[in-house]
Amino acid sequence: MDTADLSIAAMGRALRDGSITSEQLTRDALGRIGTQDARLHAFVLLTADRALADATRADRELKSGVDRGPLHGIPHALKDIYDTGGIRTTCHSKLRLDNVPAEDSVVAAKFAAGGAVLLGKLATHEFAIGGPSFDLPFPPSRNPWNVEHVTGGSSSGSATAIAARMVRVAMGSDTGGSIRGPAAWCGLSGIKPTYGRVSRRGVFPLSWTLDHCGPLSRSVEDSAITLGVIAGHDPADPASADVPVRDYLTDLNKGVSSLRVGIPRAFFQSAPAATRDVLAGIDRTADQLRAAGATVEDIMLPDYALFAAAGRIIMMGEAYAIHEANMRSRLLDYGEITANRFVLGATVLAADYINALRARRELTDAVNAALSRYDVLLTASALCTAPRFDAPVDAMSSASPMQTIPFNVTGHPAMSVPVGIASDGLPIGVQIVGRPFDEAMVFRVCRAVEVLSGWESVALPV
Amino acid sequence: MPSPSLSPDELATEFDTLMRRAGITVPADRRVGLLASYADLHQQIALLRNRYAHTDEPSNVFRLTEQA
Repeated sequence: MDTADLSIAAMGRALRDGSITSEQLTRDALGRIGTQDARLHAFVLLTADRALADATRADRELKSGVDRGPLHGIPHALKDIYDTGGIRTTCHSKLRLDNVPAEDSVVAAKFAAGGAVLLGKLATHEFAIGGPSFDLPFPPSRNPWNVEHVTGGSSSGSATAIAARMVRVAMGSDTGGSIRGPAAWCGLSGIKPTYGRVSRRGVFPLSWTLDHCGPLSRSVEDSAITLGVIAGHDPADPASADVPVRDYLTDLNKGVSSLRVGIPRAFFQSAPAATRDVLAGIDRTADQLRAAGATVEDIMLPDYALFAAAGRIIMMGEAYAIHEANMRSRLLDYGEITANRFVLGATVLAADYINALRARRELTDAVNAALSRYDVLLTASALCTAPRFDAPVDAMSSASPMQTIPFNVTGHPAMSVPVGIASDGLPIGVQIVGRPFDEAMVFRVCRAVEVLSGWESVALPV
Repeated sequence: MPSPSLSPDELATEFDTLMRRAGITVPADRRVGLLASYADLHQQIALLRNRYAHTDEPSNVFRLTEQA
């Protein structure tokens, strides 16, 4: 049995009927990492000894009737901005190479309490923004679909590890698209939950009011299972929402009959970076949803440029507040891309930031109004497939090919799901956006897209 | 606040002033690239300027309840 292709649910069943052990799953995963990671660079730190100890304990507990839930015994990995108690957490940066947190982040603690097996810490763009870069302590991770191409960022190692079948699920973070972008460019599912849905405590911030924690995974179901474990109120996270966590699996396979889907076509249709393959992927998805019984209509939202401007200004201002002292004293210790992005925050003045927050109110109201008429929105995740390392794009500029930041600005849940392979052999995805705290509907529609597109029969490249 | 419709030279002067005020020393070999990024950000900032009336409040206006 090739355990790398077992879903989380299938692994769970096999663990419980005794046909497999967590130790076997973990050894298989470590074996794949051992053969693949020297060329893909997904991991910045492997915690093999701890993983095997976790797995042995998970097996022992299951045998003795202790069942910690759907992630019990399941290997996973964390982006290296999630604090892990006693395990180095670097943010992929020279500035934090010696940082060993005393405690787990809330998410890491929830994985551990759920009996999951931590394989290690994953590459990221430096401080979740600066990359892909070759001037950092660790190399950038590479896209398993074509190693000459980037993964997207900033949850780069998370995407690489899953697309290379090292692990089914890994945690990313998303401040402007850092979960959904790599998911789209590596043929994966990735959800940015509602702002406040998952605790950010113990995760190094990029921009407090835009930061979201969420999983990337091989399938929509894998993400739904994982979010069910890590979501929930955390009184110690000032942004955490005290909203009950729904069961994300009950309606997962209900289909889209009678649902209403709005497409903010002006976001992407005439965007200079949009490729024919991506536009065709969106249209094909719309047709498939229509054929499956949904009502699919074009809608108007405020100009995309307003969302992008508000998001960038908020991010630059908040990130600069975090890094201000080091920008003065240790600028050259950051990678060049990181430093170049952070220093621009010094040019964002108070009125600029406040105008962006006024825009945020306007834009959030507009998306809420649209979602009062539609169950979900369908739009692009990225306007093109993953570029080559030697032809990079600036994901922070107004010309960014990512179309993800609007929903960091507004906080709505948004997921990228793969829909096919472009003519260059690289995957493309679409983005589904839902009402606040209605991740269940986002998962339901994404699951339908996953089935209708035939993605499940697409073989991964490695 | 950055000004709209600046010439490249004026934009560069403004950028240098803001960097100096922030106490940041930009390496000479990075300045050209940063100026291009600054011009792009500058345009995005201009998009949101003069767009709102005094009644348009920012998203972080907060509400207190009796219990802290």
